[in-house]
Amino acid sequence: MTERSEGATVTAPEIARYVARVQATLADLPATVREELLEDLPEHLAEVAAETEGSLIERLGPPEAYAMELRAAAGIPPASARNLDQRLGAVLQAGRDRLRVVDRRLGVVLGYERLSDYVRLLRPAWWVLRGYLVAMLITVFSTGESFGLLPRLGGSTLAALLLLAVTVPGSIWLGRRTDRLGRRPRWILHTSNVLLVIFGLIGLAAVGTRSSYPQFQEVYTDQYSGVRDVYVYDSEGRLLEGVRLFDQNGEPIRLGEPWCPEARQRLFPDGEDDYDPYLDDLTQQPYPYCPEGAPFRLRPTTPPAPGGTPAPPESPTPTLSSVPARPTVPSSPSVTPTT
Amino acid sequence: MDTTQLLKGVLDLAVLAVLKDEDGYGYDIMRRLRSAGLDEVGDASVYGTLRRLFQAGLLATYVVPSESGPHRKYYSLNAAGRDQLARSGKVWRSFAASMDRLLDEKGVAA
Repeated sequence: MTERSEGATVTAPEIARYVARVQATLADLPATVREELLEDLPEHLAEVAAETEGSLIERLGPPEAYAMELRAAAGIPPASARNLDQRLGAVLQAGRDRLRVVDRRLGVVLGYERLSDYVRLLRPAWWVLRGYLVAMLITVFSTGESFGLLPRLGGSTLAALLLLAVTVPGSIWLGRRTDRLGRRPRWILHTSNVLLVIFGLIGLAAVGTRSSYPQFQEVYTDQYSGVRDVYVYDSEGRLLEGVRLFDQNGEPIRLGEPWCPEARQRLFPDGEDDYDPYLDDLTQQPYPYCPEGAPFRLRPTTPPAPGGTPAPPESPTPTLSSVPARPTVPSSPSVTPTT
Repeated sequence: MDTTQLLKGVLDLAVLAVLKDEDGYGYDIMRRLRSAGLDEVGDASVYGTLRRLFQAGLLATYVVPSESGPHRKYYSLNAAGRDQLARSGKVWRSFAASMDRLLDEKGVAA
């Protein structure tokens, strides 16, 4: 051992600096373990400094190497992320500790010891979903198909099934071997998984907006749904009977139904009970089905003026009549009240 | 053969042994180990081993104030430590004897 040279005494700040760097190197350890391990280090380094010459780094080597040797001697396994920024490591460790607590608490809610125990059960389902997402990714990026229910490669359902038959078992195969992968491949796999999930979420969002659009159009209210009968009046205010309505294509406009007993009697003279208001012959019936239900009626004080109105060639009677009139209707003059 | 590898396995036993007759502080213990011929033992290894043995309940500590230098933390063997020393010592002697016999048989020079 050599003589101590002048001015080579190690100062307290130097010891503090050295200890701080050792601490930083062991940042991944839980705080309690690290404190227990380094509790006596300042005193110990002071002893070393008092007994030997030169700076601490000259005597003991770099603090990082010292920390690793100390760690090994204390029986603590080496850090898994040694090359990571130590501060980041500490933050990650703190987050991991907190996650572990959350893991246990949520697990209790689900009836498992830990939430991760439950999530692990869902892994095979994730593998299947991942295979599906990969097929969708291939489809979207190779053929420009839109994200849909099936990855129709080139628009073909058969291709979709064949593609799924490859990607889904492939994903399951990979999933069962994930634990055996090295660190680097596993890191790549996890990164791809995250990207795939993001792709899936974006795709689902796109599907969601696409499918909600036609639904918006299907919202349709029929303002005539409450109509039970149609009453047509001429310019004199007389109720027309035996009227037929047509649209511009010559299609009969059917509104309402024979709602009164008289109309049903007319439809089914034999007194058929099981009448169906949606039968075809029903649509042949002229309006109104039930003249008795007319909302407006001519007062007897205004006598009918036959020939006064040139428009209706027939002579409608304002008097109540249950006998259906047979007017001349342009397209189908023959009314056949078939049963 | 790399002695640091060998040391790893027997450092516990060596530290317990140098504390058998006399308590010591960290640097003192390392000096004893080195003077006993274990030249390659590192300071951090000794310190880490002391912390581990202390936490395992094999060592007791006490602080001795010093007028000139820093306070010194002394380590001493407690009952469990002496017990461990006796058992580990037997294991090592038996192991070393087997190795010696093997090397003798094969005529490997000492």
